Amino acid sequence: MAKYIIKRILYILLVFLILSLLLFLIYNMIPRDQAYAATSTELKNLPSSQRATFDWGDRYYYWQCYYGENGSIFERYLRWIGLYPYTYYDGSVAFNGMLEGNFGKSIVYNKPVVEVISAPMGNTIFINVFATIIGLGITIPLGIFCAVKKGTRRDIGVQVFTIIGYSLPVFIIGIVFMFLFSVVLGWFPVSGSHSTFGYDEMNAWQQFWDRMYYMALPLIVMTFCSLGGMTRYVRAAMIDALSLDCIKTARAKGLKERTVIYSHAFRNALIPIITLVIGWFLGVFSGSMMIENIFSLNGIGLFYYNALNSNDNEVVLALQMFYIFISLAGNLIIDIAYGFIDPRIRVNK
Amino acid sequence: MAKKDNQQIEEKENLAQEAPVNAEQKPAEEVKEEKKPNKVASTIGGIFYTLWRWIKRMFLGASKEIAFNDDLKVTRLESPSRIAAQKFFRKKVAVSALVVFVLLFGFVFIGPLIFPIDYSYSDPAQSNLAPTMSLRAVPAELGNTGVRDINGTASFSAGVSKENKLYVWGTTKPTITSGDISVFPESIKNDNVALAAAGKDHMVAFTTDGYFVGWGDNSLGQYGSDDPESISAYPIDPIFKTKLDPSRYGGLYACNQITGAIYDSKLYVWGNKNALTNINDLNKNYSANAKKAAFGYYRGIVLDNNGVIHGYDNQELYVNTRDSEGNCKVYPSASAFLKTKKIVDIAASDNVFYAVTSDGLICAFGTSNYGENELPLIPDGEKVISVSAGGKHAVCITDAHKAYSWGYNSDGQASFKGISGYSAFGGARQTYVADENGKLTGAYGLKGYVMGTDGLGRDIFTRIVHGGRMTMTIGAVSVIISTIIAIIVGAISGYFGGWVDMLLMRVTEIVGAIPFLPFAMLLSHVLTYTPVDETTRIFIIMVILGILSWTGLAHMIRGQVLAEREKDFVLAAKAMGVKEGRIAFKHILPNVVSVIFVSVTLDFAGCMLTESSLSYLGFGVQQPRATWGNMLNAARSDIVVRNYWWQWVFPAIFLAIATICINIIGDALRDVLDPKGSGER
Repeated sequence: MAKYIIKRILYILLVFLILSLLLFLIYNMIPRDQAYAATSTELKNLPSSQRATFDWGDRYYYWQCYYGENGSIFERYLRWIGLYPYTYYDGSVAFNGMLEGNFGKSIVYNKPVVEVISAPMGNTIFINVFATIIGLGITIPLGIFCAVKKGTRRDIGVQVFTIIGYSLPVFIIGIVFMFLFSVVLGWFPVSGSHSTFGYDEMNAWQQFWDRMYYMALPLIVMTFCSLGGMTRYVRAAMIDALSLDCIKTARAKGLKERTVIYSHAFRNALIPIITLVIGWFLGVFSGSMMIENIFSLNGIGLFYYNALNSNDNEVVLALQMFYIFISLAGNLIIDIAYGFIDPRIRVNK
Repeated sequence: MAKKDNQQIEEKENLAQEAPVNAEQKPAEEVKEEKKPNKVASTIGGIFYTLWRWIKRMFLGASKEIAFNDDLKVTRLESPSRIAAQKFFRKKVAVSALVVFVLLFGFVFIGPLIFPIDYSYSDPAQSNLAPTMSLRAVPAELGNTGVRDINGTASFSAGVSKENKLYVWGTTKPTITSGDISVFPESIKNDNVALAAAGKDHMVAFTTDGYFVGWGDNSLGQYGSDDPESISAYPIDPIFKTKLDPSRYGGLYACNQITGAIYDSKLYVWGNKNALTNINDLNKNYSANAKKAAFGYYRGIVLDNNGVIHGYDNQELYVNTRDSEGNCKVYPSASAFLKTKKIVDIAASDNVFYAVTSDGLICAFGTSNYGENELPLIPDGEKVISVSAGGKHAVCITDAHKAYSWGYNSDGQASFKGISGYSAFGGARQTYVADENGKLTGAYGLKGYVMGTDGLGRDIFTRIVHGGRMTMTIGAVSVIISTIIAIIVGAISGYFGGWVDMLLMRVTEIVGAIPFLPFAMLLSHVLTYTPVDETTRIFIIMVILGILSWTGLAHMIRGQVLAEREKDFVLAAKAMGVKEGRIAFKHILPNVVSVIFVSVTLDFAGCMLTESSLSYLGFGVQQPRATWGNMLNAARSDIVVRNYWWQWVFPAIFLAIATICINIIGDALRDVLDPKGSGER
């Protein structure tokens, strides 16, 4: 098992490097010259008497070294990752890349990226975990029910509902729910992540409830959107599992139907379901981007969107790496989970 | 059982009918001979023939030759695809989804030919109108009793009858803040309106008992600000708060957020200070001795009692006399021309002003974008005596009592030349013609918008038609791209195995690990730094969607190919010395076609949704081009969600119907093509 896990981790690391290189190359298509900008600012801030003696080339070189913009594109890439040292103007050498925790600086907030994205990250993780838990709580029983009652009228009813559910894009469901529950019925606030006025005077408990009140509708929409696809998936996995020979044997032995379904069939359906759960959990990170945008919820998705629109490229790059990291970590977890659930997989590989 | 028997009998009958016909036309031998040259599938024709045969086999079953064998006549061989097709058409939901989708497809691909679109068009006067068809619905009573005046600036029109009664029609709630225009203030009675004018979001009237009345939106002092020191509003003259002398009324005009009145031969203009660039001049320098005023969208002009126009920009001027090539004569300086003439009538469309000279000429000056200065050819001997203008068109009356219209002819408002008429009135997009008794003889122009208009005044229905075409094209092209990649990768990987498989599957995993939406957004963002035009950009978006979405299908095809390549017919083909590539693509791939078919259908819906999501966020196709996604982009503002339901409900419904239908079709296809499958997504 350990060997298998190590193999997978090494593989994932390789993929991560390839993807980050790809991303860096794409990112470099954006014309930018931080050293030039910094030198110009420096020149502008000088008193006019000293401007004549300003050595542009020298200072430009200084800033180039500072931002690690000299050298070939591969050197720059490795510096950014943290595998190749920066050589500063004074000749000192230091690693200062992502591996060392330097994700760059947001030009909009003028703060390190890590500092800026921590608050929205919390929000996003919170709503994603919450929506996953509620979603699973509803869809797994529903999917099992449909699989057991396959072909009945109730099953077909649920199928029609789910096909509509997964055909509709998130933003349409979001807008419709917003219109129904916020505008027409007035149950929830239309957008935002907490009250604009009086939020700071609240105590921690009140603040929590205030935030929950604002997050309720996004959470409902997110859960609702996941119902269609997940129910279908669980149903399909369960139908496959119920048609296995071992189920026939179990029934022939005279086991209770409950035991057959929940103990024998469901365990076999678990493999696809786990893939789904983890895949879906990762999917919601980019999926929640839509929700956060519709309800102006201060999360990673909205942050990413705003960064793109305000050309805050370092933030974009860092968040993009985050998305890729999440995705790869998910793949790794799926692989490892497979290894635990299904011994055949780790033997085969 | 009975049903089955029936079927068999029917089939027999079919065969009995088909067989003799076929036998007469094409004896079996001839069919065989014909096929021979096609077997050399090296030409393009050969490829098409192969494709055609696949599709034919898919729906119509294998070649008919088998059926000529007497042994097979009774129990006819049905190809699996034919059975699948029959099964599919037995599913009511799937068939209705297919019908709806085909209709929708036809609608968005034929529709654009019928409803052309002008992407550069926008009109603030028509913005945010709810679905309506009442824009030129003149009340019958007004038409019969005799029209004194009809005018309109934007979405609603006002008419005054000869019996001093006021009528209003159109969208009478033009903005959120304006209230309902058709609810008149108490001082307006059934027979006391002398003059009335409809602005963009407000309405003003002079009553026969001497009062000035205004209603509708007054947030910018449209009909008289209550705050005399307001920065945005030009104050109303105190004289209009008092009782007036009806015999001194000279004219009343309402336009985009301003009101103008001529009282006692003096012009007064008030309302939004920024609505007119020359509002100060009009009030201070040109107000005396005024006979008539005309207000465009940004500028107003005045005609004084001496026949001189004030307040215009000195631009090019067009006159309806023709030069040798049949074009309108152009004078480089409007003032040079107008100074030599005495003017009898003026009118203003949004951007172009019109003047009628005492010798019966009509001239146009201003910025023409919609053909407003393509003045009509008036027969010799006829003289123009009056002119009236709508938003982007105009109409004039000659002394032979003929009406001529010209300008923007989107809905037939400028379609007539030389019809009989004694007076003509231009609404925003409408033209009304009346006879000598004032009886309305014709109403031309825009009836309304089936699905309303968006924030820039564009018709939502037209944009849905064109947006649907764009959305479906993007979906289709990206699915084709992704399918081609998936087939190549999947087939090669599955067939050859070994290190090729290993390599290709790693590539697949890497591409599959890319988080879709953020990455597509980033690529779209990077594109904005490169100098590509919108068409190239749309194409690149299609390619991006295609390149990012092939991995699932490639996995599936690989799995299928792995299963197929162990079968005997592959062994047979190998034994016959068929080349490897040919085995992979020609022998194995057709057996995988059902998987591809299902996947393509479902992916089509997926790609449409992704494009919509991207466009919704503003990273897909950019305005002014329409897609269903970027039409919904307006709904990012909760003002739109709250107040203008038609702007998001209709695109959402179309998008939803399209994707639901495609998914139902795809689902049904999977059920019938893959008997083992259980509806796994």
